[in-house]
Amino acid sequence: MIDSLKDYQDVSFEQGRSLWQDAWYRLNKNKLAMLGLYLIIFFVVISILTPWIGPYAYETQNLALGASAPSAQHWLGTDIHGRDLMTRLMYGGRISLMVGFAATAVSLVIGVLWGTIAGYVGGLTDTIMMRIVDILYALPFMIFIILLMVVFGRSLLLLFLAIGLIEWLTMARIVRTQVLSVRKQEFVSAAIVTGLSHWQIIRRHVIPNILGPVIVYITLTIPSVMLLEAFLSFLGLGIQPPQSSWGVLISGGVETMEEYPWLLIFPGLALSLTLFALNFLGDGLRDALDPRATRD
Amino acid sequence: MMRFFVGRLLQSIPVIFIVITATFFLVRAAPGGPFDAEKTLSPEVIERLNERYNLDAPMYEQYFDYLGHLVQGDFGPSFRYTNRTVTEIIYAGLPITFELAIYAIMIALVIGILAGMLAAIKPNSAQDYIPMSLAMTGICMPSFLLGPLLVLVFGIWLQWLPVSGWGYSPGDKILPAITLGSTYAAYIARLTRGGMLEILSQDYIRTAKAKGLSTASIIFRHALRGGLSPVVAFLGPAIAGLLAGSFVVETIFQIPGLGRFYVQAAFNRDYTMILGTTILLSCLIVLLNMLSDLLAVWLNPRLALSNEKN
Amino acid sequence: MPNKLISLSFLLALFLSGCDLGPSNVESGTNNQILHLGNGTEPKDLDPHSVTGVPEHNIISALFEGLVTVNPKTLAPEPGTAASWVIDNDGKRYTFSIRDNAQWSNGDPVTADDFVWSWKRMLSPAMASEYAYQLFTVKNAKQFNHGEIKDFNQVGVKALNAKTLQVDLENPTPYFLSLLSHYSTYAVHPPTILKFGAIDEAGTLWTRPGNFVGNGPFVLDDWRLNYIIRVSKNLRYWDSSNVQLNEIVFYPIDQVQTEERMFKTGALHATSSIPVDKIAVYQQKDPEKISIDPYLGTYYYRINVNIKPLDDPKVRRALSMAIDREMLVSSITKGGQLPAYTFTPPNTQGYYAATSPITFDIEAARQLLTEAGYPNGEGFPEIELTYNTSDGHRRIAVAIQQMWKEALNINIRLSNQDWKVYLSRIQSMDYSIARAAWIGDYPDPNTFLDMFITDGGNNQTGWSNAEYDRLIALAASQSNQQQRYRTFQQAEALLMAESPIIPVYTYTCVLLKHPQLQGWYPNILDQHPYKYVYLQEPK
Repeated sequence: MIDSLKDYQDVSFEQGRSLWQDAWYRLNKNKLAMLGLYLIIFFVVISILTPWIGPYAYETQNLALGASAPSAQHWLGTDIHGRDLMTRLMYGGRISLMVGFAATAVSLVIGVLWGTIAGYVGGLTDTIMMRIVDILYALPFMIFIILLMVVFGRSLLLLFLAIGLIEWLTMARIVRTQVLSVRKQEFVSAAIVTGLSHWQIIRRHVIPNILGPVIVYITLTIPSVMLLEAFLSFLGLGIQPPQSSWGVLISGGVETMEEYPWLLIFPGLALSLTLFALNFLGDGLRDALDPRATRD
Repeated sequence: MMRFFVGRLLQSIPVIFIVITATFFLVRAAPGGPFDAEKTLSPEVIERLNERYNLDAPMYEQYFDYLGHLVQGDFGPSFRYTNRTVTEIIYAGLPITFELAIYAIMIALVIGILAGMLAAIKPNSAQDYIPMSLAMTGICMPSFLLGPLLVLVFGIWLQWLPVSGWGYSPGDKILPAITLGSTYAAYIARLTRGGMLEILSQDYIRTAKAKGLSTASIIFRHALRGGLSPVVAFLGPAIAGLLAGSFVVETIFQIPGLGRFYVQAAFNRDYTMILGTTILLSCLIVLLNMLSDLLAVWLNPRLALSNEKN
Repeated sequence: MPNKLISLSFLLALFLSGCDLGPSNVESGTNNQILHLGNGTEPKDLDPHSVTGVPEHNIISALFEGLVTVNPKTLAPEPGTAASWVIDNDGKRYTFSIRDNAQWSNGDPVTADDFVWSWKRMLSPAMASEYAYQLFTVKNAKQFNHGEIKDFNQVGVKALNAKTLQVDLENPTPYFLSLLSHYSTYAVHPPTILKFGAIDEAGTLWTRPGNFVGNGPFVLDDWRLNYIIRVSKNLRYWDSSNVQLNEIVFYPIDQVQTEERMFKTGALHATSSIPVDKIAVYQQKDPEKISIDPYLGTYYYRINVNIKPLDDPKVRRALSMAIDREMLVSSITKGGQLPAYTFTPPNTQGYYAATSPITFDIEAARQLLTEAGYPNGEGFPEIELTYNTSDGHRRIAVAIQQMWKEALNINIRLSNQDWKVYLSRIQSMDYSIARAAWIGDYPDPNTFLDMFITDGGNNQTGWSNAEYDRLIALAASQSNQQQRYRTFQQAEALLMAESPIIPVYTYTCVLLKHPQLQGWYPNILDQHPYKYVYLQEPK
């Protein structure tokens, strides 16, 4: 059930490849993961090409038309201002994907570094670092956001930073716990005895072992970041109308879900498709990168 | 164990102190005062209100004054709800939010761990895909969407459950608890699956299998315990976040819990209320993170408590 | 494992189907004369001298009664705690006779001294009452409130005897009786106030259930923050035999969507508002449940006249004339609002503004912009439109942004701000164009037009015009209503020609109510004296 005979055969074929080639090979075999990858590439390409392929401009209004259901002219319908929803969705994807990936990357870098150092070094360093995390958890984050906005003004970069700063905390806690558990295992002590440097130990033993939970947590963070962006835009940080994002479209759609359901369904679908894709890709990547590589 | 407890409790004092100090000055730095309103107040009125709430004193004096009262357990009067004290509001709102959070966590744990376990036992099968797809749906369904959706289906179309209230009519606690719990259930399911798969591929599990232990015993005695450690690391802050995040659910369902006060206080610049709720939240975070670290050790004995290491 | 899941869901289904929701609030309330009302945000307090909002007003009007009350249909002043009054000295002296049977909810009689004491409290500098200006028409009241006069005996209010109150005004003020139906002029029970604090102390415990004493048709029973406020019939109220409701339950509800759902499932007899997109749905499916009535308020944009290029009246008029208000109210606000080309709502107690220089005329707007030096919008800097975070404000701003772009070819940047940031930016004049709204305090053009006098507290546009100031002061001294209104018309024409503001629409009061709610009449202040309200199953 856990390790089938087939996998053992696969392992024997993989001798002599580098870790990354190896991973790519295994990822390629995971159909769902590849589907996820293609879907994400598709979304990214669409959102880059939007200005050239969309039949409408995202801000052009038709107030007399108002919110209209999907039709031949507007495949996904129009919003309250009579703007083409498909165009807005495609433009919104640019913002959402950018925010999703960039802010998650910020939180990933800070969180993993922080958690690894705290967990690996331990002792007083660990204590101080983790108490700083506690403090940041407790600060009233809304006041924090309002202040950020007042001091730095409104910019997309600030948005990434603000979201990253909020999201890295849990990442750091998860990484630290994982690092601690690895640090205590026999092979690490053995590695120290054999004279490996800390960096080598971290690279060979610690990082591969924290990859799994980190990848899972990333796939959880991206959607919550996209939705957080909607909330921050609501507070005034982030994007301003007539620009839009999936999160903003969804939160607007919720309010009119009985009257104009398409305004919720299509943005919701776009977001969930992306998440499913990310999720499959994430699982596939984790399996592919796993140093023990004996599952499935 | 004792040393860990005492150590963490001692550490929590500077943590909470820093939170109080930072919050005290942050809220005063934010633009807009507690008395700003649509109709502009005359400068005389503002001056007298500032006098009434001691906001005309130098900042450091206000700060020490606040600390002085705090030591005596006095959080001060609310600026927004003028005839209530912060203590009184917390006293009324906290039990409600707490009850809501407990139901939500129970739902999240039961559903999340069950789904994650099912998925991890047979990865890449229907037993994996179905619960995980549901979990993904749960994650992309923020409570501001799930709440109204549940209300629409169960409250308005089917008319099975009330659409609002807390303890007013039978069954009015069900929808809010599900709404708040489901996102966390989804997170827990994902983390449980990931954590368990990690453990199931470890050598000692193979050893256990080779020794002929039954699947059930492997799952429950080894994999589940070890596999839950990412869940536990997530759980500490998540529960604290649940209390703050209950704002959305409390607003949708018209529940008089502390979450609403916590968020509204920031919008209202109700300085004392922000501070009071933040102090409470920081105590909770310290406590829950400590419990979560403790639980992680219990689940995975190979983790030693960090400050026993030296 | 799956078996367990099935049995679990079975149990849950069993539990759910076992839930009997019982009769709704509307059904049981109608049988027992208990009114359930949605009431917007949680009130700050229930002290008539320290609050300002509409939710507070809705509750306080159940708990207190002023000297004068209003006709529920016409808002004309009617005897309240005062049985009658005499006006003399050219409209500058009012003498009120307080009802012999008017008493507080603890049994004490309501006296003229209670009113004198209460007005002293309201005007005390230390009370820092935001609505103190409602009494500034009374002789020396303003000076006392500003601390220029220390002796309250010099203020124009005194008790001639226990039941006779005499008030002297600075100017003949035709709307003075309307002011007296406003809660800021109500009396409070002095011994109760003094039991919990000083005369000029706000935020004491006297407004809590149990402590509370009032003179209105209802008394305070229960008050839980963010949950409910319950008031029940006051048997000591002088007219209690005509009060039909036994209880009113007010629900503070932050979210309009929640309120609408509660209404739909029968938890509320009436709401305080309705989500915009639901208006059309109700109009089609349940037209008898939605009511849309004129309201004494104007939605407008403020312009900061101190900054370029908005310091030029031509630019301001161009902006104002390029807005298609008809389209806005029909496609965006959808609640029967009236396009506004002047600031004072039409028919404010019989007042209509003179013909406005502002119309919807894109050609004229372009012409004005060209005259100002920006032909076809060339060289026009990008300016910012600030509004406080709200879906409704955003929708309007987005539409206007596009109208300006299309008509004038100018670019506007939208900037939404959290409420308090928005307020602080308006107050410090740190904005270019900002959304605003004004709801009249009393039915008279003065409540709208005296805002824009030089350095008026709510002016906040930086606009100042000596002729305008003179006209507003002149109107205040005129006792002939027709003359007064003509003066106001001149002032308003001047205001619109200079356009420091862009009126957008005149509010309507849009709310949901079940047909069981009777004796609830529409009026421009959205005031519904509860003693006329009753509940009855429709035939």
